[in-house]
Order: sequence, then structure tokens, then C-alpha cells
Amino acid sequence: MGFMLTTLIFIVIGMIACLCTRICCNKGPSANLFHLTLVTTATVCCWMMWAIVYLAQMNPLIVPILSEGE
Amino acid sequence: MAERECLPTMDLLRSEPMQLARLIIPVESAHRVISYLGELGLFQFKDLNMEKSPFQRTYATQIKRCREMARKLRFFRDQMYKAGLLSSTWPTHGSEISLDELEVKLGELEVELIEMNANSEKLQRAYNELLEYRLVLKKAGEVFYPAQTRATTQQREHEHHRVERSIDSPLLLEQEITADLSKQVKLGYVSGLVQRDKSMAFERILFRATRGNVYLKQESVEEPVVDPVSGDKVEKNVFIVFHAGERAKSKVLKICDAFGANRYHFTDDTGKQYQMITEVTGKLSELKTTIDVGKHHWSSVVQAIGLQFEQWNTMVKKEKSIYHTLDMLSFDVTKKCLVAEGWCPVHATSQIQKALLRATIDSNSQVGAIFEVLHSKESPPTYFCTNKIMNAFQEIVNAYGVAKYQEANPGVYTAVTFPFLFAVMFGDWGHGICLFLASSFLILKEKKYSTQKLGDIMEMAFGGRYVIIMMSIFSIYTGLIYNEFFSVPFEFFGRSAYACRDSSCRDATTIGLIKVRNTYPFGVDPVWHGTRSELPFLNSLKMKMSILLGVAQMNLGIIMSYFNAKFFQNDLDIWYQFVPQMIFLNSLFGYLSLLIIVKWCTGSQADLYHVMIYMFLSPMDDLADNQLFVGQKYLQILLLFLALVAVPWMLIPKPFLLKKQHEERHQGGAYEPLHTLDENLEQQLNNRSRGGGHEEFQFSEVLVHQLIHTIEFVLGSVSNTASYLRLWALSLAHSELSSVFFEKVLLLAWGYNNSVILAIGVVVFIFATVGVLLVMETLSAFLHALRLHWVEFQNKFYQGDGYIFLPFSFSLINDDEE
Repeated sequence: MGFMLTTLIFIVIGMIACLCTRICCNKGPSANLFHLTLVTTATVCCWMMWAIVYLAQMNPLIVPILSEGE
Repeated sequence: MAERECLPTMDLLRSEPMQLARLIIPVESAHRVISYLGELGLFQFKDLNMEKSPFQRTYATQIKRCREMARKLRFFRDQMYKAGLLSSTWPTHGSEISLDELEVKLGELEVELIEMNANSEKLQRAYNELLEYRLVLKKAGEVFYPAQTRATTQQREHEHHRVERSIDSPLLLEQEITADLSKQVKLGYVSGLVQRDKSMAFERILFRATRGNVYLKQESVEEPVVDPVSGDKVEKNVFIVFHAGERAKSKVLKICDAFGANRYHFTDDTGKQYQMITEVTGKLSELKTTIDVGKHHWSSVVQAIGLQFEQWNTMVKKEKSIYHTLDMLSFDVTKKCLVAEGWCPVHATSQIQKALLRATIDSNSQVGAIFEVLHSKESPPTYFCTNKIMNAFQEIVNAYGVAKYQEANPGVYTAVTFPFLFAVMFGDWGHGICLFLASSFLILKEKKYSTQKLGDIMEMAFGGRYVIIMMSIFSIYTGLIYNEFFSVPFEFFGRSAYACRDSSCRDATTIGLIKVRNTYPFGVDPVWHGTRSELPFLNSLKMKMSILLGVAQMNLGIIMSYFNAKFFQNDLDIWYQFVPQMIFLNSLFGYLSLLIIVKWCTGSQADLYHVMIYMFLSPMDDLADNQLFVGQKYLQILLLFLALVAVPWMLIPKPFLLKKQHEERHQGGAYEPLHTLDENLEQQLNNRSRGGGHEEFQFSEVLVHQLIHTIEFVLGSVSNTASYLRLWALSLAHSELSSVFFEKVLLLAWGYNNSVILAIGVVVFIFATVGVLLVMETLSAFLHALRLHWVEFQNKFYQGDGYIFLPFSFSLINDDEE
């Protein structure tokens, strides 16, 4: 599960969410654009958070040092 | 104003287009027109009679009538509360009634109720006094005889002493002696009830005032007695005071009155006593039945009122508001029509016209009401059509400042980024699930709670239920990423990437593990929890994450300012504000973000603090160990140069260009529409007044304004970026608290292997989690996420100096007064 693959998965999930919102509540073009914006923003935020945490662990400079008595 | 763009406009991004409209209404249909517009709720009336005081306005008498009726209704509501009728059980619909009939009926009911109350009070008082009298009769009889005999013996001794003294003092005449003797034979008594806590003082003062010449006997009553004056139950004592002489009697009476002791006459004749007791008992039962009948009548009247109360209340409120609104309209020259001016959304035009037509037909008026659109330079109110979910988020944005008419609404992005930033600070999916359950309970019971009256705190929590549920969903997500379930990590997404260096694991506690597999695919590796190097790793991760998220949100803010400038066709703002701002922010903090990402991708050991600081201090120096990519030094010099150029770019050209624009306009050279003027400038000079025409252009003011704006941005870019570090700080605090509660409470209690200690430990853990983490941390993270939005995000583009559209609407009035 590389970085690119999971990013692709996020994009796919985002698109599916957009489609679902379009199917469930289709209330005219302006409302649709609004819902699209919300879903896209949410997907981007979630992806950013995951990507930051993933990238930080890819080439670690600090390694876990277990504490005594583990 | 703005050209139609190829993309459709987005809901809620900008205020609905509003128009200033004038209604000309014939007087006979005025009341109906206002009533129908109130039901529609889409027209905000302007007060055309600002100069007049409330008493000079046309409908002042009507409003006074409504106020009187409201007062009577409040009186009825108090009576209903006294009768114990709960407000939630009152029905809201009843029979139709007109305002005049209602007024008359309310008047009658009020008079009736006041009379009934006064009567019942009198009867109750008489009843209580009789009760006391009966007590006195019973108790006093018991003490009377032994007390009397003792008193008469004392009296005789006293007489004896007096007589002896008179022999020694030949100055006293015999007449006086006999007169004294005859006076002193008469032994009077006063009986009554006094409050128990005052009885000691009562006794003392009696003694002092009469110089010991009284005999007091007190007997306490077992149960508390209802005091006739105050109506409360107090502990009382029955007392009998035996006194001699008229002076002593008057003193005793005055003292009794001072102490509020009720006096009741008591005969020493036993036959009469018995008669009195039977008489009093008879009177008591009579009074009781009368009082009961009265109460029954009262409660039936109050219940009848209760059935109609809500309907009357709503009606009176509606009428009062209609007359207030009518007061805002002005009479036209012919005195036959009322003129109304106000704001309404453009899309509501047809609805308003239909309402006007309906009112004309219903009131059988000859002339119809006229609706015409006016053009004005005034800034319209801002109106967002929100549904119940977006309403809460819009309220959060409006609390800082209502959007100026048609500027971009940050609420669109706040709806997602606010719960997201909250979740970054709150990340724990166990706590997230608790919040989710709480808020979904509120949402499921929505219908029930929205009609009830809740306490202040519950009301806030209920109003924010959709915000809280979004926050909880994002918290579950970030909790999975931080891998914390009440601070316990789980291995849901595969195996941990770290393992011992060799099979004996000798170095695990000194040098540590090494990364043997691929990175843990989703979130923080579960091996980190409890290790010694957990904090250095997580701190580094979270600080860098805060910077990245912060730079992203600030860039979004600046891009929103671009969209604003484009919408208002303000080229000046685009080239001399948006572009240099983007360049400045990104050449410094965008570059920092880039360095962070490159460092993570390459695993270099460069010290980023060193790189950034020496980029400013000695940009020409060689980077040596801190080199992250080829050509870094030259890139840094270029970025530094761009940042330095951006500052005067923001500061200097704009005032000069504004001055040129202003001169061109007033020479009649180029006709430029007003809205290309800097919006800030227009606000300063116009101040929402109807004026227009020739504004003063003061170059020095504009220059100073631009200077302040530039300094604010430049210095703010550093402080705002640092401010985002609170995402790290709160997230660290949350995880540490959560970890402490888990290890030091729950695990400790588990370690004792005793079920009582375990139960205590679980209870303490639950209370600590709910009190500290679920309530305090939620509020804390909410507040900080709010601050990040209001200051760091919105100061990049938001003016927020508009005013909100408050239409005349019956539903809003009901909410107001409740």
C-alpha cells in the first residue's frame, strides 16, 4: 500500500461521495455546487491529514525506544 | 452588478441579491397587508418615522391597548403556574376571536380573578386566626388553673409587702393605701400566641418593662401553625401573661403588638370555654367549605383560560407587532395611503406581489397596493438562505461579523474546516464515539426538544447539535489516524513497521527498534505508544502538521480574497494586493512547507530551523549538511528577493492609483462605476448614508490605511503561522490527559485484583473522562478552532461589516419573546 495507491483510493472515495450526494439531494445547480464544495473540502482535509502522517513515518529519523519493563 | 459567470453561482457563497422596494398601500387594507407580509416573512421594513417619538406615532393607542392585554395575559399566566398547569400541556389552537372581543373578555376575566383572589385571601386569614384561637383555647385551659393559683399567691404576698411598707411610711394617706389595695386585687391576664424564636426576648422584655410584676407562662405548640399575616408555617408558643393594674396591662399589650403576638380573649369560666371551643370548631368547618368551594371555582376559571391562553397570547403578540410595523410607515401627501419602504430578496418579488393581491381582495379595497423597486446606493442587508444544518455554522461566522453585502461567505468552508480543526485537537476515536452518541441523541429527539423550553446550557448544546455531530465524525477519523482509543493504540491496518534489530531484542530499550517493513498504512504506528521516544517523534510530527495545515488554510483565505476582488471587479485589489500577498506568504512559509515535505520524503537530517533562520541572516552562505536538494541556495536567494519586493508592491502603488482613479472620475474623463472604488474607502466615506456625490479623497489617509494593512499582513504572516501551533499543543494535552487517566486510574485499579477497588477505579475513570476530556477539552478545542477561523483565516479576506436581514416575520417574533 504505497503512498500513491492510497491517494488514489482517497480520490475514488471522494468521487463516490460526490456522486452519492448528487443522487441523494439534487436540489438545483447552485445547491449541487455547494454540496460538491463541502464534500471536496472534506476529502481534501482528510487526505492531507493522512498524507502528512504517512510521509512523516516513511523515512524516520527517530526510532521507538521501548521503556523498561515492557 | 456582476456579470453572469459560466459556472453557476453557489448557494450560500454570497448573499442573496436584495432590492429596495417601496409599497404604496391604501389605508383600509394596510392591516391585512402587513399581516400577510408577516406570515410570509421576507420583507424588512425601514423605519420612515425615525424622528417621531413613540408617543407621536399614529398607532400609539393601539399599541397601548395591546400592551394592556399582554399585561393581563401575563397575570393569567402567573395564575396558571400557581394552579400547577404546565406550559407544555397547553393546546395551541382554539376558536376564532377578534381583537376587540378579546380585549373585553380579558378585562372581565381579570376583574373576576382579582376579586376571587382577594376574597380567598380574606377567608384564609380568618381561617388561620380561628385556628390560632382554637389552639389558645385548648392550651391555655391546661395552664390556666395552676398558673392562676400561683399568680394569686404571688399577688397576695406582694400585697402583704405593700401593706407592711405603708405602715413604715406615714406619709401615705389611707385613701391612697386603700385605693392601691383595691387596684391591686384586680389581676388581669392576656393570652395569645407568640413565635417560638421570639419567645425568650418576649419574656425578657416583659419582665424588664413591668419590673418583674408579671407572671408569664408559656406552652409550646407541637406542630407549626400557619401565621395569619404572613401565611407561612411557624413554630409558636401559647402564652398567658398575668399582670396587675392598668399601666402594666397597656405595657403588656404594646409589647405583644411589637412582637407580632396575636392576642385572643380567654374566659376563665369553664362552661363558657367549652362553648367557645365548639363554636370555633363549627366556624372553622364552615370556613373550610367556603374556601374549598372558592378554590374549586378559581381553578375551573383558570383551566378554562388555559385552554385558550396560547392562542390569545400569539394573537396579542401578532397584533402588537403589526401595529409597531404600521408605525414605521409614513402617510403620503393625500393622507389616504401608507408608504412603506424596505428590503426584500429579489426572488421573493412574486410572492410579495401575490400577498399584496390577496390582501386587497380580502379587505374589499377599491385600489390595489403598488409594489415598485427603488434604486439606492445604500448597502443592502445580507441574507443567506440556510437550512437547519448550515444555520449553526452561519451563526458561528455571524458571531464575528455579518458578511458585507455579496462578499464571499467563509461559512461555506467553515462548515468543514471548523469540525476538522477541532478534530485535529481532539483526536481520539473513543471520545469521538461518545460525542457522536450524545449529539445523535439530541438530533433524534429534535422534534420534542425544539418545542420545549430548555435551560441555557442545554439550549446552546441543542442549537449546536449538527456542529457537534460533524465534530464527532471528524474526531473519529483523526482518532483512527492518531491511533488512540482512550489513549490505547490498536493494530487495525496491518502489522507495525518496527521490530527489534536482532532476535534477542537486547537493544530495544537503549538504541531502539528499526523499521523492517513498509510504513504502517493508515495513521500512527501502534508501537509508539508508551515508548521513551514517543514524545519527540509525535511532537515533531504534530508541529509540522500544524504548519502545513496552517499554511494551507491561509492560502485558501488569500484565494478567497481573489474571488472577492474578481466579483467586485476590483483589478486594483487583484494586482496590488492578492498577488504580492500570495508571493510573500508562499515564498516564506510555503517554502517552509516544501522543505518539510522534502525532508520527510528524503529522510535527510537537515535542521530546518537553521535553514530558515540563516536564509535571512546570511543567504549567501553554503548550506553544507543542511542541503535538501540541488540548487537550494539559489532558490532561497530568489525567494528572499521576491519576498522583499512584495512588501513595497503591497504598500506603494495602490494609493497612487486610487488617487489617479478619483481624479479621473471627478474630471468627468472616464465614467467608472462606483464599485471599483476600494470597498474600504467607500465604507469609510459613505457610512451607509444615502449621500453619494462628491467624496473627499484624502491621500494621506489612504496611504496610512495601506501602510497599516501591509504591516498587519507582513507581521501577521509570522504570528498567524505560529498561532497554528496550537493544533499541536492541544492535541498533545488531550493525549497526555487521556493517557494519564487510563494508566494511572484504570490500570492501577486493575492491578490490585480487588473488585471493589476496580469498581471505584472505573467510576473515577468515567467521571474524569466525562468531566475533563469530554466537556472541558471539547469546549477548549472548540474555542481554539473558532479563534483560528475568526482571526487567522478570516483576516485574509473577510470584511464582515454588513448587517443582517431581519424580515418582519411572525415566527421570528414568537422566538424573540419566548
